[in-house]
Amino acid sequence: MEKLRLLIADDNEDNRLVLRATCRKLECFEIKDAVDGLEAVEIAESWQPHIILMDIMMPKMDGYEASKIIKEKYPDTVIIAVTGVLDSRVEDKMSLIGVDIYIHKPIDRELIRFKLQSIASSFRLKLGGFKDRTKATVLNPFNSDIPSYKTIFDIVDAEAMMEFGMWLFDRYNGKIMAVSGKFDKVIELFYKLMSQRDKDGEMMTIIVEESYDEFYITMKFEKAITLEQKILDMLNEFGTEVIAQENIFCARLSKPIEKEVVAQDLSQQVQTKKASVENIKIQHTNEIEKEVEVIESKESIKEVRVIESNEKELLHQSFVHKTSAADYVEEIGDILDEILELSSIEEEWRERLNLIETDPSEDNLIDFVDSVLNVYVRVINSLFEFTALAYALTSLGVFIKDNAKIISEDSSKIKTMIMLFEHLGEDLTSWREHIFVLQDTADIHYLDSSFFSSCMQIEGIIGNKEVSADDEDCMEFF
Amino acid sequence: MAKRVIIVDDSRAVIATAELALEGMINSNTIEFKSYLNPMELLEALQNGSENFDLLISDVNMPELNGLDLARAIKADERYKNKPIIILTTESSNEMKMSGKEIGVTGWMVKPFSDEKLVKSLQMVLGV
Repeated sequence: MEKLRLLIADDNEDNRLVLRATCRKLECFEIKDAVDGLEAVEIAESWQPHIILMDIMMPKMDGYEASKIIKEKYPDTVIIAVTGVLDSRVEDKMSLIGVDIYIHKPIDRELIRFKLQSIASSFRLKLGGFKDRTKATVLNPFNSDIPSYKTIFDIVDAEAMMEFGMWLFDRYNGKIMAVSGKFDKVIELFYKLMSQRDKDGEMMTIIVEESYDEFYITMKFEKAITLEQKILDMLNEFGTEVIAQENIFCARLSKPIEKEVVAQDLSQQVQTKKASVENIKIQHTNEIEKEVEVIESKESIKEVRVIESNEKELLHQSFVHKTSAADYVEEIGDILDEILELSSIEEEWRERLNLIETDPSEDNLIDFVDSVLNVYVRVINSLFEFTALAYALTSLGVFIKDNAKIISEDSSKIKTMIMLFEHLGEDLTSWREHIFVLQDTADIHYLDSSFFSSCMQIEGIIGNKEVSADDEDCMEFF
Repeated sequence: MAKRVIIVDDSRAVIATAELALEGMINSNTIEFKSYLNPMELLEALQNGSENFDLLISDVNMPELNGLDLARAIKADERYKNKPIIILTTESSNEMKMSGKEIGVTGWMVKPFSDEKLVKSLQMVLGV
């Protein structure tokens, strides 16, 4: 069976590694890398990949230019733009040259696998010789070839209708507090449809299939139904997303994606924060106003270390999925060896701190970051689930290197730094042991937030900076 | 008499930063500072009477016992029913706040916390 060719074009080595590790699980691909747009074009010409994961910001030739050239020559190549910024202008430009699939950073590996797998299965169908394995089991025609699971509701009375309504509301709305206008219509439509059953008091079944970003809802009545004009009018509003035929009704419903949830959460926080500033009128109004501006303009100011929205988002990701250590370790494969070998780095971590204690030179501080901290980070980076942790440690390392001279000249700062880094090292050791050796934690992200805040606070303490969480009013007493 | 403040967090670095922030209060003998890495150990010590506190600051996400469950268990004990507990959290979700309120915790604080905020909230809660 011929493998599909997948090209990963990204100038950042860490990103390439993460993408490669993510795609490696999908056995149907043969993978090559390109380090810039120019190389991507060259490889596209010589190797003709089926799918390209294309970073947008790259040196020599950017992802847009490269995509344009490749799409002109090979219109069948599917290009997935990998981008950190949500910019509608860029998306419009990309759309014009035929790039409509996006993966947003920070990378959600499940989503990448999902997108790649669906694209791969459409290639399989086109290329022939592959079995279409899901067609037979799929119930709802919108759900053409995506593996899915089903939830079945037997609607026998009004209570069962409510139950379905509540379930859908929870699943659809998730973390969003306010109900969107679109969802309101959906609930109303289902309510009206379920009420059709009531006329003869007969039973109906609702089967919900789900993919990563859509629901496929199929309603099966015992007998053919005649829909009232009111319902038909409502159905018209949904256009081609619904089908009603005899005793079956099928609908497709997009889930609100995580990004939107986060964005909405953040904007709500800004609103709440503004409101609380107005209500409480505490002395430091100006400072808090400043923080609100920081969140809104996404600019950081020097003297206050604020959690920026991208950091917030990184951290938030850790909370979305709960994974047990045992499940996780089973999945990571060969990287486990590298993790276990980190114990030698942990020893070196302590040795290097001792060295700094006896000789607190600028070079020794920089050496600590380069040959201990960053080595640790590199391994964590290849774990892809720990983006927040890797980020926190990386930025701490950058901070130490940037301020190595100042720190090295201040004996009390050195003392504090050594003490805090000793604790951080012990935290990392215990994190590594619990997750990878003992594998006894119910959620691998249990220490993420502690690491994140420790790193920021170490930065704050050593740099004499105020640390601030951009989270409503930071504390509340009941 | 110095007020006994206990912090429970599975991260040594978080405990160390809190201790640094409270250095002034500790040195002036305003508070006595004690930390636990393991919430189960603290709960046992409280239950067998070998430990006591005037204020407890607890992390939420800990593998052995979640901070809210710890607070619930402590609040269920007559001896500690009225003692203040502050929850340290990164995600201040409404749901979490609500359950904290329900359990009867005194308040919550978002990590990372500034020295000043930690000191202020301690002064407020302990009245020192």
